[in-house]
Amino acid sequence: MRLNAAVALAACLVPAAAIFEDDAYHIDFHHALLGLPKHDATFFQKPYPASKASLLFTISENSTIGVVNPRDGALVWRQAPSPYASGNGLLRSGEDQDTVISAIGDRITAWSSSDGRVVWEATADGAIVQDLEILEQEDGITNVDAKDAIVLVGDGSQGVRRLDGKTGRVKWSYQDASGDVPFQVSSSPTTIYYISLHNTLLGGSKLKVTSLSPITGKKIDQYTLNSDSEIQDHEHILFAGANTAAPLLAWTDKANKVLKFNIIGTKAISTFNVPQSVVEKIVLHAPGRVNSLPHFLVEYRTATGLSAEVYHVDLKKNTISKAYSLPETTGKGTFTVSTSDANVYFTKITTEETTIVSSVSHGILGRWNVKGSPNLAGAYPVHGVSEVVVKTGKPSAVRSAVLFSNGQWALIRNGELAWTRPEFLAGAVSAAWAELPEEETLAHELEVEGHQNVVSAYFHRVQRHIRDLEHFPAWIQNIPKRVLGNLVSKPEESTIDEIQHDTFGFHKLVIVATQGGQLAALDVGSRGKVVWSIDLHQFAPEAVFQSPSVKAFRGYVEIKDSAFKGSLYVNSTTGGLLASKDIPVQPPVASEGQSLISFDLVDGILTGFLGAQSIPEAVWTFDPPAGERIIGYTARPVKDPVASIGTVLGDRRVLYKYLNPNLVLVTTVFDAARTASIYLLDSASGQILHTFSHNDVDISRPIPSTISENWFSYSLTIDSTSAATSRGYHLVVAELFESAIPDDRGPLGAASNASTLQPSAAFGDAAKPHVISQSYHIPQEISHMTVTQTRQGITSRELIVTLAATNSIVGVPRNVIDPRRPIGRDPTPSEAAEGLTRYMPIIPFDPKWHLSHRYDVVGVKEVITSESGLESTSLVFAYGLDMFGTRVAPSFAFDVLGKGFNKVQMLLTVVALFVGVLFVAPLVKRKQINTLWTI
Amino acid sequence: MRTSLATLACLASAVSAARFTLHIPNTPIVNPSTLPSTTYATLHSSGAPIEAYLTRANSFNFANVSAGSYLLMVHCRDYAFHPLRLDVSVEEAVEGSGEKRELVKAWQTFIGNEWDNKGELIGEGGNGVVLETRPLGQKYYFQERQGFSPLSFLKSPMILMALFSMVMIFGMPYLMENMDPETRAEFEEMQKKSPLAPSGENPAQKLQNFDLAGWMAGKTDSGSNSRGASPAPGSKKRG
Repeated sequence: MRLNAAVALAACLVPAAAIFEDDAYHIDFHHALLGLPKHDATFFQKPYPASKASLLFTISENSTIGVVNPRDGALVWRQAPSPYASGNGLLRSGEDQDTVISAIGDRITAWSSSDGRVVWEATADGAIVQDLEILEQEDGITNVDAKDAIVLVGDGSQGVRRLDGKTGRVKWSYQDASGDVPFQVSSSPTTIYYISLHNTLLGGSKLKVTSLSPITGKKIDQYTLNSDSEIQDHEHILFAGANTAAPLLAWTDKANKVLKFNIIGTKAISTFNVPQSVVEKIVLHAPGRVNSLPHFLVEYRTATGLSAEVYHVDLKKNTISKAYSLPETTGKGTFTVSTSDANVYFTKITTEETTIVSSVSHGILGRWNVKGSPNLAGAYPVHGVSEVVVKTGKPSAVRSAVLFSNGQWALIRNGELAWTRPEFLAGAVSAAWAELPEEETLAHELEVEGHQNVVSAYFHRVQRHIRDLEHFPAWIQNIPKRVLGNLVSKPEESTIDEIQHDTFGFHKLVIVATQGGQLAALDVGSRGKVVWSIDLHQFAPEAVFQSPSVKAFRGYVEIKDSAFKGSLYVNSTTGGLLASKDIPVQPPVASEGQSLISFDLVDGILTGFLGAQSIPEAVWTFDPPAGERIIGYTARPVKDPVASIGTVLGDRRVLYKYLNPNLVLVTTVFDAARTASIYLLDSASGQILHTFSHNDVDISRPIPSTISENWFSYSLTIDSTSAATSRGYHLVVAELFESAIPDDRGPLGAASNASTLQPSAAFGDAAKPHVISQSYHIPQEISHMTVTQTRQGITSRELIVTLAATNSIVGVPRNVIDPRRPIGRDPTPSEAAEGLTRYMPIIPFDPKWHLSHRYDVVGVKEVITSESGLESTSLVFAYGLDMFGTRVAPSFAFDVLGKGFNKVQMLLTVVALFVGVLFVAPLVKRKQINTLWTI
Repeated sequence: MRTSLATLACLASAVSAARFTLHIPNTPIVNPSTLPSTTYATLHSSGAPIEAYLTRANSFNFANVSAGSYLLMVHCRDYAFHPLRLDVSVEEAVEGSGEKRELVKAWQTFIGNEWDNKGELIGEGGNGVVLETRPLGQKYYFQERQGFSPLSFLKSPMILMALFSMVMIFGMPYLMENMDPETRAEFEEMQKKSPLAPSGENPAQKLQNFDLAGWMAGKTDSGSNSRGASPAPGSKKRG
């Protein structure tokens, strides 16, 4: 109850600059992403047996389970695993079930299909799950109840387990002590097959098939296939028939010349030759239903085209025969398989068309031309899943969820693009605000005018205005549209042109680089629309991108990665590669007598270099005390305008801020003693300005920090194993002043030419700031923090913290975390006039501070902020697994009319006044005439 | 619920590891079946927290919790929950028997207070104990925008002043006409005495020369301006 009281009190004290309900979902956007979907774990499925519509289930390459509505591409539910999970993710579902079962690492979980709640959970006790199948039939009878799961575990205790479909309890377990590499499990109505790879001395692998009884888990039979001449690697096994009517093993040799099949349960191997000479990839598509026809398709991908062969399995004779082949067509694409009752249909999806054939004959049953979309320009289908609607024995409609080569996941319904999801953005590792060239040119021209003599500057200016006149007709033409658009709130559409002519500066581009080497530009002002996206591999074909980093310059971005030497320069507005000669070289300007000092972390020691020289020379080093290691550092932003050099007190006196552009905050931890230390350095001199040290810190948790203006903050987790008196998380805020005394500038005060490096004659003496700090308890762990930025720095700042636990981003007002809040007493009237409130040891994160409100922003790696065209407003963009963008006005939107301003009402008032004037005018006139006559 | 407990029964393999269930009962605040599936609970002591997602039975199942003192929190997008303190200890079932069993105890805890400052006991028991936690209230993320209301419009001082002057402009001549001649004469006399009354010279000039301090002090001088001894504020208005 005390907490309640505290929350209530705090809520009363703090003026909440919350988001208006009508602004939410308009000024902000959220791309809830999954990552690239995995082919074998993507399927259409009804969420419960009686459901009419099916949902699209998938598990992505980063093990995020997602369910998407196939109608509009909206996320139904999503479960992102904790980042500690390892191993590849598996997702399976039985027919007519209301659960889907996933296995990530050692955790096997059954989720409710319709809402994503946990049904049961089981662990593999340290072992990693290699494969997962649903036991569809038992003794030839389909289970009506919850179907059991068959799990293959490896890496630890190797073996096969059968888990109860209702509870997840282990029904039986088969241990395999042979040391073979576990590969897959497959089930037939009567037997469970466990397939492992037995490594031979010569380097190849033999396929070993063990049949197990589904009821007891006892070994029935075991045989080995002579595949060691072909199989060198997992990659060469095309298919290990998972739950199909014909459990098949298919593999090929390294050169993709021969295809070999084995019907699981028999020892015979059928061999077929690959028709094309050079095949890049062979994919086998077989229906995943037990009661479908035992037909399958083998897809051959060459460098230019696509062909396929359809095979039939005769289960009575245990033979495989080729039924027909589909001729090669140029253009890349893929095949998908779908079933309707027992019939099997194959859908071919290319960039131009979608065609359907039946597995029985090669006649094309349906053909739709695919309409192109700018989102999919230049991309081709990589893999997909389809759902076919069959009416009177003929497929009448088809929808396919296809992953394209540019990372867009799209749904094509009868040739039409229903939706695309930019799943390639899910692995964003770096982002930067783009500086557009247009505004820069104007700034540049103004600069030119400023440096010329008056007359030539005047002519330059006149010329510029005349040149600007060419935009005048278009501007005039646009006026009616703009006025109407202002009155009736129009849907925001944006092009590069509009971004450049954006009055409020809300339309700003963010350039995002993903782990896979994709680069995309998002317009934060128009709900995160992808303006362009490119694959960096086209510029650096050999490079395998690890984590590209983006740095923005005027009109272009620089991309660096450990995979290649040097940098790539990409135009911010078009995404085109710039040759190095196109780039205006802008070396960092250092005026006469000055030199630049850069710093970096080298071998765990922070070192400052004199940057101008060819071989950097260390001018200072910061080596933490013995036992401590540097875990991170934060510098003051390069662009950090400060409007006022002092804080005005309630009695009109001034506390001068310690404003040093070279502040660096270094975080170190001492593992053995579980302490964390914060060092405030001057990066020009390398001197330590201030130090904080905390005992009993959980050093395995993140210690985020940020620094802005004359204050910094950081957050830590208290270690519970110590004898600390309290538990939870701390937020520490410190503010730097030149002196503790108001109206005093400390050692720098009297001198007209002072140096922070050496304020007095004594060597090594530094102007140490006066530091006021306060720490607070916070209810949740902070994973990242940053500060809002505005154009002039007049608007008060807001601390933007990322809460990983609730997947939210919170803006903490600066006055709440003001370290000058009076402790243990109520504020005096002059302090109250300053807006200071009484110190409270806890800061509850008010829901009204949540910038992400009802969005679940998962996996945020970093939040970046930028100024907008308005002083009141700062743009915020978060990336990681999800993308989130919004704009914040920490001191309210004082320079722009909000949605609360009713333009129609204003017009009506003007009209009403005009009518009033018309009405009153004759009255007044008569009165004036009357007065004249009376005189 | 029974199924989940059965799951746990087979899962608990380590001897000195407790398991328990945190259940959200149906309350007037919210039907727990409507909570989003992203709701989960964390058990934090040191290092990475232990997580448990919401099950179909509106509960969180924790297994393999080793002995220690934990901070138990429920994270939900729409509702706020109390933080709890959960202690897992291993005790002898019967003193001297040597048979050990786990004991799970949970209290309310208060963030920003000492860890030993425990609140209400939520529950205690051996392995598989079911604890209950209730939502405190809904989270409101949005601020209401002040819409246009005619009453607040009328209440604004500017509008009140405008209305008052309207009444004076249109109403006063009408009143004057309806007055009986005696009162009217008296009123006019009073108006003449008023400092701002029009008389011969330019009213603007007169206003400039007006000696406010003197007038407020109740000074009467028989100069060019004839002033009343105590003019009524209302009479300043020229009708």
